[in-house]
Amino acid sequence: MTTQVDRRRFLTSAALGGATIVGATALGSLAPEAAFGAAAPGVGPGDIDPQFAEGRVTSISGSLIVAAGSDGTLSAIQTTTGTSVWKLTPTSLSAIRPGDGLYARGVRMPDGSLAADALWVNIVSLDAHVANLASDHLDLDHHSSKIKAHVISGVSAAVYNGTPPVTDLSHVPVGGHVHVVGAWRPDTSEIDISTVYAKV
Amino acid sequence: MTAVYGEASWFCCGAAWGPCGSAGGGACGTCASSKHQHAWPTVSSACTGITDPGACGVSLTARGCGFVHYVTNLCNSKEVSCSIADCGPNVHLFCGEKTCCGTSCGTNRLIDLTASAFSAVASLSSGLIPVKIDVVA
Repeated sequence: MTTQVDRRRFLTSAALGGATIVGATALGSLAPEAAFGAAAPGVGPGDIDPQFAEGRVTSISGSLIVAAGSDGTLSAIQTTTGTSVWKLTPTSLSAIRPGDGLYARGVRMPDGSLAADALWVNIVSLDAHVANLASDHLDLDHHSSKIKAHVISGVSAAVYNGTPPVTDLSHVPVGGHVHVVGAWRPDTSEIDISTVYAKV
Repeated sequence: MTAVYGEASWFCCGAAWGPCGSAGGGACGTCASSKHQHAWPTVSSACTGITDPGACGVSLTARGCGFVHYVTNLCNSKEVSCSIADCGPNVHLFCGEKTCCGTSCGTNRLIDLTASAFSAVASLSSGLIPVKIDVVA
């Protein structure tokens, strides 16, 4: 716990002071894997997590991202050089665009903004029926909607029966059900595949 | 209830961007991605009829909306408490599916967490994680 509190204070101070932070610090990595477990003490079951934000990016000004939440609220998300960014793959803040959807986890600041440890941009996680398998995409049925899931060379992978990921998606079961993590193409019914989880 | 071990995924619910299937607050009407909530396969008899965990040989206690589970990520021992807000996942579609961290494994898709709950214990890019589900912290 002490490490998490110190890390929080460090991140908050850095965001307030505009200090430059390297990704790996003496307190441990600020990668997304280190961001969790950072839910604020006292976040009860069913409660809104104040260390979390979601919405669509409306503006980007320097290190500040403003996102319009699905509930109508606006979130000010302060990023630092230590903020990890996922947009189909680990990437940088420069990859974020207005109109992108995002989830953010970090530290809530006294001014109400969120100092972000991690941003997941356009990320989706869904169970789907595989209607068709082509060399460059899957046609998925998800809650009565059609989704075109693009296979991205060098990125898209399949996990079969919990084994390590492979780039060969040819064993994805047509007519079966899979779980897909990917990146939504904003304002479309299409996604880019990060990982397909399938039981074969 | 004895703790059960299985897989957890995450989903979006409530008003949301992107291809979010559980719109309108989910089966309990209160689901939102920013809340520490989860979907449970036996939240109602109608839900159980859809998710059919018995098809996978899994027996899950029927729990209603608002019931609290404690979910521990077996990869890092991080725990989150969350309340039932929706019906799911569709257990019978993924019978025998297994996810492991080293020798810590979870078999069968038993619980679906909101994005905020999942990200409290794992990176959202993880997709599936092995978990312990209990009724006490």
